[in-house]
Amino acid sequence: MRQVVGISDMLVSNKPDDVLVTYSLGSCIGIVIWDPQVRVGGLLHYMLPDSRIGRQRGIDNPYMFADTGIPAFFRESYNLGALKSRLVVKAVGGSQLLDSVGIFNIGSRNYQVMRQIFDRNNVKISREDIGGTVNRTVSLTIGTGRTLLKISGRGEIEL
Amino acid sequence: MSRLQEIAALVSHVAPFPKVAIRVLAMLDDPAVTARQLAEVIQFDQAIMVNLLKVCNSACFGLSRQVSSVEEALVLLGQETLKEIIIIGSSAGFYSGHAGAGYQLEEGELWKHSVATALMARMLSRHLDHIGGGSAFTCGLLHDIGKRFLGSLVADEFQDIMDRVGREGCSFVRVEQEVLGTDHAELGAMIFEKWGFAPEMIGAVRDHHRPDALELEPLTALVALSNSLVITMGVGVGADGLASEIKGAGLKRFGVSMDQLQIYMVDLLMELEKAQDLIELNMSAVNG
Repeated sequence: MRQVVGISDMLVSNKPDDVLVTYSLGSCIGIVIWDPQVRVGGLLHYMLPDSRIGRQRGIDNPYMFADTGIPAFFRESYNLGALKSRLVVKAVGGSQLLDSVGIFNIGSRNYQVMRQIFDRNNVKISREDIGGTVNRTVSLTIGTGRTLLKISGRGEIEL
Repeated sequence: MSRLQEIAALVSHVAPFPKVAIRVLAMLDDPAVTARQLAEVIQFDQAIMVNLLKVCNSACFGLSRQVSSVEEALVLLGQETLKEIIIIGSSAGFYSGHAGAGYQLEEGELWKHSVATALMARMLSRHLDHIGGGSAFTCGLLHDIGKRFLGSLVADEFQDIMDRVGREGCSFVRVEQEVLGTDHAELGAMIFEKWGFAPEMIGAVRDHHRPDALELEPLTALVALSNSLVITMGVGVGADGLASEIKGAGLKRFGVSMDQLQIYMVDLLMELEKAQDLIELNMSAVNG
């Protein structure tokens, strides 16, 4: 079944027929995780790098931010039997506006914070498609781990 | 037909904006306006009247009793909300069906982008002086109206446009101008002129993609910033993606930090959720 992950949300699943999809990633980042052994996977769509800008909002919805969302997202997959050491991790998004002074740099900050969290926790990214000015859609089929990246106006590729 | 004639023809075929709506919006800017005066004007447009009562009585507002007149609606909801209901109801028809398809937007996405920009403009308007009540919301809601009509031309030249954006790394709107001889912002301003909106509103629509927009007139800066944040969030964004140029240094005049703007983005998500019924109610009304 097709399950849509909204902005600042995530889903994990162990149902082989589930296809998790998130649309229209601008500066937001979509993280796809999948454990091939138990066929458990998930998709996170976070919007902002750091929950410290408004701590209560991070408590109300951790998936809005990289710092609160990424750990909570991984834990949800462990609850379904996924193991960190087996997870295949892919990341897409992090575009930004053409701003020569870099004030509107949420996309690159979203990416940096994710990298820091992954580096600290020894998580390797197997595939990524990051940055630029494009608008991305990503989907994951739980049964096979197939990950499709669609770039609006440019077509779809397997990631 | 030359491209310019084609574009002029596009504008001439755009339906007029409901006159009563424009009149009511102006009246609602006057704090001394009475409910009776409003009701007298609104009664001349049955569509607006019916929509107003339907929206007031929908679950969106959770009012405890049935609203049956403009006077009651004004007392229960206040001028600002009434204004927004009327402008939303009068604008939805322009975003019906596959508006935005030329930009590879799914049905309803251009409308969602427009409502989101209007809500963001309303939230940010407190940071700038000299913004007329209601004009921020209206310009936010209609800033991309040009896309509705330029879409078919964009679709015709789509591959060329995408190639140039990719190759030159420039903004989508600049390539529209290069390839089509106009862009959706300029076309939107022509439509606003035809509709008889105020000069500062026409300017805000025309200039909302100018790289120096944040340094221009207050309303222009407000619409440009609101649109930039909504695009960044990916709400109702098509093939043009984030290929929009903006000089972030102009943010200074708003007196807001990037952290504060991020909080507005978080708040917008909640506002959008609250407005979801209103968005769908108006769209289902025009799509039948």
